[in-house]
Amino acid sequence: MFSVSSLFSQTVTVNPVFGNSNLQLDHWYKLKSGDSVKIETLSFYISGIELLNNGTSVWKEKNSFHLIEASQSNAIKIPSGIKYDHIKFNLGIDSITNVSGAMGGDLDPTKGMYWTWQSGYINLKLEGKSNLCATKKNEFQFHLGGYQNPFNSLQTIELSVKENQRIKIVLDMEKVFAQLNLSKQNHVMMPCKEAMIAAKNIAKLFSVQ
Amino acid sequence: MKKIIFILLIGSFSLVAYIVPKQMFYTVPKSWPKPKYDFSKNPLTAEKIELGRALFYDPILSIDNTISCTSCHSQFTAFTHVDHPLSHGIEGKMGTRNSPALINLAWHSLYMWDGAINHLDMQSLAPITHPDEMGSTLEGVMRKLQKSPVYRKLFYKAYGDSTITGQYTLQALSQFMLTLVSSNSKYDSVMAKKAKFTLQEENGYKLFQKNCSSCHTEPLFSDYQFKNNGLPVDPLLKDYGRMKLTKNPQDSLKFKVPTLRNIEFSYPYMHDGRFKRLSDVLTHYAMGIQHSNTLAPELQKPVVLNSVEREELIAFLKTLTDKTFLFNPKFSYPKEVLTK
Repeated sequence: MFSVSSLFSQTVTVNPVFGNSNLQLDHWYKLKSGDSVKIETLSFYISGIELLNNGTSVWKEKNSFHLIEASQSNAIKIPSGIKYDHIKFNLGIDSITNVSGAMGGDLDPTKGMYWTWQSGYINLKLEGKSNLCATKKNEFQFHLGGYQNPFNSLQTIELSVKENQRIKIVLDMEKVFAQLNLSKQNHVMMPCKEAMIAAKNIAKLFSVQ
Repeated sequence: MKKIIFILLIGSFSLVAYIVPKQMFYTVPKSWPKPKYDFSKNPLTAEKIELGRALFYDPILSIDNTISCTSCHSQFTAFTHVDHPLSHGIEGKMGTRNSPALINLAWHSLYMWDGAINHLDMQSLAPITHPDEMGSTLEGVMRKLQKSPVYRKLFYKAYGDSTITGQYTLQALSQFMLTLVSSNSKYDSVMAKKAKFTLQEENGYKLFQKNCSSCHTEPLFSDYQFKNNGLPVDPLLKDYGRMKLTKNPQDSLKFKVPTLRNIEFSYPYMHDGRFKRLSDVLTHYAMGIQHSNTLAPELQKPVVLNSVEREELIAFLKTLTDKTFLFNPKFSYPKEVLTK
């Protein structure tokens, strides 16, 4: 008899980092440009986790929706004893789930990741302050989402991984801020072209450590 | 012999006991299309409907406990409000649109005048959180509900769990709203050959079919599409309808076609409530239509009726009034639950 824990003995962690260290919320960081930035909120959805071997799907997680919050540790169980060379997942929530009514668990609308005035999940929420923002209290706010064309911001990410290891996926916020042009754009709050571009750029910055 | 009757009696009692839990809370009226709402994901039960009804009538949903859903959606006006064109919320704040009547909601695929909401379950979030309506957060509402012994009990009865979640709350509100079906007007009796129109109503029905039914499609009296019906833009509200959402100029000035069921009681009319009387609406379609490139193709020519025809059409529209809906005790304030 196998126990569930032995079948699913490996874990994938998804964590935001800043450069070489774990990300701390409410901490002032210096950017390479000399400007400073503080992240107060960072939450995003990872969904549809899948393992691939030679381009073929070998395992798909059922009900695969994970809210990743910078303030909490995030470990996702995956099965052992399967050969794989890539991991694939979405950054955000697919369109079918977006139109399927009230959900529970990580998808519960009380998680603060659902727009109230226009239906749809916020795929990624990033809020904080920077001297680059000529805004009230130097605030920036990115609520990136949108499930309908022409503003579908869902991103698919595929990363090469080695078997039989603890897979550690990171999102380097230092690189994210190097991409975002905070002095020009610091408020994206609805499905739009700017949200799609930002989501696309951020998706490229996930990597395996 | 007596023994046999006794056994038969016992048998029929147990049969009844078996049938009761399978009670139908929802039936699709004869000859109506299939509902759009997926009931399999939120199967109706008596306890969940009761919970939804309590939430619907309880001002606990608003930040200062002053406004409930029924403040803008009262039963005797077909679950909308009357007397003022725009809806108002906490601290007397005014919204920018006329609250729609809550009728036959399972047949809609998009909600709100501009279709901003994609599912009935998610609809309640908008008024709960809007600063000019209830001004709450869903998390704040959860905290208040969790503290209430009445709601802990109602959630336990409905879900077998006294931990209150956003999903349960929204689904329960949907359950109650889904039961708000109006299908028992005089028009329905005439269609079922159980009643007859008067001559005036009959003439009005013919005028309706000729001039109105391409958008206000029977039997729901709306096709639930988004159309520009030629209303001039209010210079203060500057409301361009669905375009705000899609950012597509093709959607400029388009609003959802409302149902005409219970129209006699759901005044004022239009997305901003600008018309008080049905006769004002007919005057708009006769001489008020503003032409623009998104104007509905059905309204390229005005609908001009003489005074007799206008009376006939209005007489027909009044046959869409459903008193069994407007006065159904199952839809009214649940005093047995909320006054405890």
